[in-house]
This record gives sequence, C-alpha cells and structure tokens, in this order.
Amino acid sequence: MDDGNTNSTCTECDGQLRSNGTETVCEECGLVSDENAIDHGPEWRSFEDDETDRRRTGAPLTRSRHDRGLSTEIGYGSGSRLTGRKRRQLARMRREHNRARISSKVERNQVYGFTEIKRLITELSLPDSARDQACTLFKSAQSEDLLRGRSLEGFAAATVYAICRTLSMARTLSEIVAVSRADESELKAAYDALNRELGLPTGPIDPTQYLPRYASKLDLDTDIEQCAREHVETLLDNCAIGGRNPSGVAAACLYVAANDCPDCDSITQASAGDVADVNPVTIRSTVHQLEEC
Amino acid sequence: MATELNREKRRDISREYFSRERLAEHHYRSFNSFLNRGMQRVVDEKETIDTDIGDKEGEEPVHVELGDVRVVTPRVREADGSEELLYPQEARLRNITYSAPVFMEMSIVKGEEGDQRVVDSTETKIGRMPVMVGSDKCNIAGFSDQELIDIGEDPADPGGYFIVNGSERVLMTSEDLAPNKILAEYDTKYGDEIQVAKTFSQRRGYRALVLCERTRDGLLEVSFPSVSGSINFVTLVRALGLESDEEIVHKVSNDPEVVKYMLENLEEAEVQSEEQAIEELGKRVASGQGKNYQLKRANYVIDRYLLPHLHEDGVEEEDVRINKAHYLCRMAEACFELALDRRESDDKDHYANKRLKVSGDLMKDLFRTALNKLARDVKYQLERANMRNRQLSVNTVVRSDVLTERLEHPIATGNWVGGRSGVSQLVDRTDFMGVLSHLRRLRSPLSRSQPHFEARDLHATQWGRICPSETPEGPNCGLVKNFAQAMELSQNVEDEQGLKRELASMGVEGIPGLEGIERTTSPADD
Repeated sequence: MDDGNTNSTCTECDGQLRSNGTETVCEECGLVSDENAIDHGPEWRSFEDDETDRRRTGAPLTRSRHDRGLSTEIGYGSGSRLTGRKRRQLARMRREHNRARISSKVERNQVYGFTEIKRLITELSLPDSARDQACTLFKSAQSEDLLRGRSLEGFAAATVYAICRTLSMARTLSEIVAVSRADESELKAAYDALNRELGLPTGPIDPTQYLPRYASKLDLDTDIEQCAREHVETLLDNCAIGGRNPSGVAAACLYVAANDCPDCDSITQASAGDVADVNPVTIRSTVHQLEEC
Repeated sequence: MATELNREKRRDISREYFSRERLAEHHYRSFNSFLNRGMQRVVDEKETIDTDIGDKEGEEPVHVELGDVRVVTPRVREADGSEELLYPQEARLRNITYSAPVFMEMSIVKGEEGDQRVVDSTETKIGRMPVMVGSDKCNIAGFSDQELIDIGEDPADPGGYFIVNGSERVLMTSEDLAPNKILAEYDTKYGDEIQVAKTFSQRRGYRALVLCERTRDGLLEVSFPSVSGSINFVTLVRALGLESDEEIVHKVSNDPEVVKYMLENLEEAEVQSEEQAIEELGKRVASGQGKNYQLKRANYVIDRYLLPHLHEDGVEEEDVRINKAHYLCRMAEACFELALDRRESDDKDHYANKRLKVSGDLMKDLFRTALNKLARDVKYQLERANMRNRQLSVNTVVRSDVLTERLEHPIATGNWVGGRSGVSQLVDRTDFMGVLSHLRRLRSPLSRSQPHFEARDLHATQWGRICPSETPEGPNCGLVKNFAQAMELSQNVEDEQGLKRELASMGVEGIPGLEGIERTTSPADD
C-alpha cells in the first residue's frame, strides 16, 4: 500500500497521513494521497440485527487455553432439531469427543491449572494480559518438569504471584493465598522452584506499587497517596529501605502521609498494618526511619 | 358530555408524560423489580446445587445451599488493585462495563439427611451484573441536575440502557403471545379443517406448548412436549384422575350439542380407569421399557411437562392434576365451540393476547441461565477439589467470571438465551429524539422475511398503547412498533396468592370441591 511512497506527511498541507483499508488520507485536509484498488477487508458489512453471522473466523488464538483456543465442538445446528436415533448418536459423539479432547495427564493438569489461574486472575481483578503470561509461565514450568511432587494449585498461585511481580503490579503472598486453593507453603515451594529454575526477571518490589491499593482500602484521598509516594521516594533516595518488607514500607508511608494531612481522619498503625499484612511494629520502625531522613 | 380540556391543560399533561422520569420508566421499573425481587426469586427456585460427591462408598454427600443474593452499586477495580465507584460517563470513555458486583450467601453442607453439618458458609462474590443507567442501583440515582453535570452526565439523558465495554446497549422490548391462555383457532390437517386449542404454558423460564385438537372424525387429541405424536384426550383426562364418563362430560360442557360430541369421544375411549390410563400413557412415553419404569416415567411426564404453569408452591400434586384435567376440559370445550360455530377463532393480534417482555424480564431469563451455568461450574469445581483432597471452601469453588461472562456477552452481542438475536441494540444517538424513540421501541419476534399481513396491520386494540404511525418502512414494517405517548405499562402482580385470596373474598369461586384453588389463567411466572 505504502510502497515507495514513504513520506508520512501530506503533500498539500503537511498534515498527518493515515491509511485505513484502501485509502491513505490526510487527517488535516482530507486529501486522498494514495489509494489501493484492492480492499483487503471483508467483502460484506455486518449490521446489528443480521440473522446470520457471516464471520469466517472465530476468536483469536490464546495462550491461556490448553489447545490455544483451537478446540472443535460438535454443535447443535441451527435448523430443525434432530430426533430419535440421530440425536442420540450425536449426543454419544459429543460425549466421546469431549473425552478425547484431553489426551494426556500433562494436558489434563494444564487444563486444571489454567482454570485455576483464570479464577485467581478474575478474583484479583488483574488484566487479561497477565492471565496469558501466567499461563505461559505455567506451561514452561510444566515443560521443565517442575511440577513433579509439587501441587498444581500451588503452581497456579505462584505463576500469578510471579506475573504480578514482573508486571510491577505486586500483590502480597497473603493476598494470593486468601483467594487461592493452595496454602502458603505450597505457594512458596512452587514460587521457589519457578524462581530458581526459570530465572524470573524479578527484582526487589517497589513499595509504590502497593500504594494505590492500600490507599483505596484505607479510604484515603489521592493527594495523600501522592504525599506517601514522595515519602517512599525520600526513603529510596536515602537507601533506607533495604531489608524492609516493601508492603510495610508502603503502609507506613501512607500512615505518615495521612497523619500529616490536617484535614483528614488519621489512621492507626494497627489498621495500616492490617491492610499491608505486617506487624504494627514494622510500621513504627519505618516511621522512625522516615523521620530521621 | 365530554368536557373539553383547554389547550393549556392538555399541554401540561403532555409535558408531564414527556418528563425525564417518564420516558424510559418502563425500563427502570422492570429492571428495578428484577433487582429487588426477580433475582432472589431465581436463586430461590434454584435453592441448592447438588454434587455427585457421596456416590462412592464411604464418602459423605455434599451439596451447596444458596441464600440471599445482593447487588451493590457499580464500581471498578483498577489493575493496581484499588477499587472505586464507577460513573456512567467514565464507563463510556474508558470502554469498560458499567456493572456492579453481585454477592450471594452460599453454604457447603456435608452429611446424610438428618445428620447434616455446614462445612463453610460465607457471602461470596459470584460475579458482576451490568446495571441499567438510571435504575435504583445506578450510582447517579437521585442526583440533582448540577451533580449530574459535575460528573459529566447529561441531565436530560433518559437512561434505561446498559453500558457494556463502553457501548450503550438497550434491550429491545419484545412483544410475545400471552402465555398460559387458551387460544382457539382453525387449522388444516390432510386437507381438512380441524379445530385446535393452544396454550403456551410457562413456568420459571420453562415454556411448553400444549395443543388440543379435534380431528376430522371428531376425536380429541392432546399433544405436549416429551410425548411424540398425540394422546387421546379421554385417556389423558382419566390419567389425571377424572374417571367416570359423567364427570368428564360434565366438566367439558353442559351444552347438549357438545355433550353429543363428547359422548362420541367416550365411546371410542381406549381405557376406563385411572390405572389403565397411566399404563397406556407409560406405553407411549417409554415404549419397550419395563412396566415399572413406564409407570414412573408416565407420572413424571404428567407432573413435569404437561401444563407446567398450573403448578404452584404449596398446592398438593393431587390437586394440581385435577386442575390440569379441568384445564384440558376447557381446551376441549373451546375446540367444540369452534366446531359448532359458537365462537370465533381467537385473534392473536388482539392486544389482550400480547405480553411485553421488558429489560427486567429479559435480564431474568439471562440471569437464570447464567446461574445454572455457575451452578454447574461450582459442582464441577467441588468435585475436583474433593477428588484432590482439598478443603472445601465457598470462596475457592466459585469462579466469578462464569456468571459475569454469561451476563455481559449476550448484552454485548444481542444473542440472547433461547437463540434470539438482536435483543440488545446500540442506542441510537443520532439525535435526542432518536434516543427517546429507541428506548420506547418494541419488536415483534415474528420473522421479517415472511408476509404476516395480519401481524403487521394496525389493530384496533393498539389504540392508546402503540403509535399508529411510527413504524419503519421496508421489511420491518409493522413488526417494529413504538409506544404511544401516554402509554402505561402495567406489571405483573407480586403476590399471586394474595390476589387469589382477594378474588375469593370478592366471591370468585374455584372449582367446586377444591377450596381456595382456582384455575389459573394468569401468568404463573413473569
């Protein structure tokens, strides 16, 4: 379409060019600077209440299904309903087809793991991209044979935890355990294995990742959250975070910010600790640290 | 006699009918009643989720009991985990769904009958319900004009639509044939004219067509789902407990001509007693099976598939059967009267024979199937968890995305449960009048590719209800209609038992011998 004609500005008015389907049009003046005689789009238009769906393709491939979304299904048809022998035969075929869908133990585990990941992702309201990545991670853990002797539920939870960390949307272990079917030891065992064998690109967690969530849980305004963010920055600049639980640091900074703010209800160290799942003592020591800086 | 209103007053009334609250009122009212009662009713119908755990020996059976369901107001959970209230304008701009979390009390119960204990009982989030803009659960409910402007909302916007993935979708009101009513009409079979009485019997989302035909040799035959072909009327009535000739004839009619027709039928009767009739029915519904199974199946079919709308909570199965027999007799009478030219065939286009399905009714259908899907998933998850020796807890067996997807997807695409398509449409924002017209539009489910002349015609009973002139040209002409300005849409009664008591106190008599129970021709479920 854009063969040779690589200049991206309009010849008339130097406006931005944009190509859609067949035409390259200037966004400013509407000049059609290039045209392709062949429309590569669908040869039909679809209307709201069309009776039939003329799309030829289904949903795109996805990594979050064991067959990448390329499953076949024996449907029920749209025309007249079948009767008697034919219907029973189709019902049998459907059942056998469903049984044959999963061929190996590995695949069965994968299906179970993926549904568990999906459940965790929705429970934690994480984006779909996280789900795809968690599923891919689960698959690589399987191909590295890490699952042997460890629990599936633990791995599902661990992949979600790991993906949260790599995507800088950190969740605490206890938050994951609360919604997971695995207990904490299973999750830890699985995460250790993942981290050791697959070399996850995770560094120390930035406490600011926790701020928005804790602020909304503690019912604090965005300007307090902003203020807490600055406190975290100061701590980071003074290298005063080392060895501290980032979740506790986030809660402590929110605590300080909320108490410094004149026109808002102050929160207690205990409530801040609860939200961050740390001891009030941890909060207190970080507060001291912050005062020193 | 007619006192003429002066122009000013008429204008005031007009204006009142065109106020913001009135334009899409039918949508909110319906959706609010779905949120307030309909949802809970659907959950109560479901009551429990049974599992296959306990089929093996040495295993305790497990089931889940469903309790109160609760919807909060729309909110959004960001990727960083913070949660805040969502307003319609934000949902439109960010292409997200304007939906509210739904919570339900669920308890996992373990153990045999009599020795049951609750393993885990919590209120858990089961999914998200798209919320109608302007309904009681909408975050802008009760806002003043200035407050609406402050959050970027148009104070003149009538609401009454949903926002799914940022696009505004309105659920088309659909105009269906009234269920649970006897409609008598002529039909042809093998070139002869026959008389048919039809009833669409509907209860709890299950719809069954019951037909009573008078064939060319004057015999009555009944057909209903799960029975292939048709069954002799007398056999069926006897199976339902009306045994003697005299009783049957008397219940159909006292008209001598009809009695004559009825006696012809009785002469041809295949069976004489209730047991024989059930046996005969058993042969039809489970031919080639063992006798015990045939009887069991026959009884099941009668109670499950024949005229389901006559079932009612707290009414004995025995009485329901007699009621069904009486109802069939009314259908028989309608056929005979039609054959004798005592009446004309019923007019399907008469507005008394129409019912409108508004957003709340449609959402109820959707919620019912979504809840069933969720129940199946919970069952599967429980069985999996049990097989893997996990602790059974409510929170970990409920996948909230199951319900959410089942609720959002049909609204987003318009492909409703039951195979209907185009139920939800993108709100026409061409101009303000377009929106108003779209929200007050209704659609007949008849195919637009067939003539259906009578259905497209303006019917006299549409006076005051349907606009006589606003209908599209072309294939949808007369099938898509619009409400008249002063149309009032009545809702189904909430308390049917109360209505019946009231009617009884006013002197309405039920079938003699059955105190407090009457033939119900009112919708059992809506």
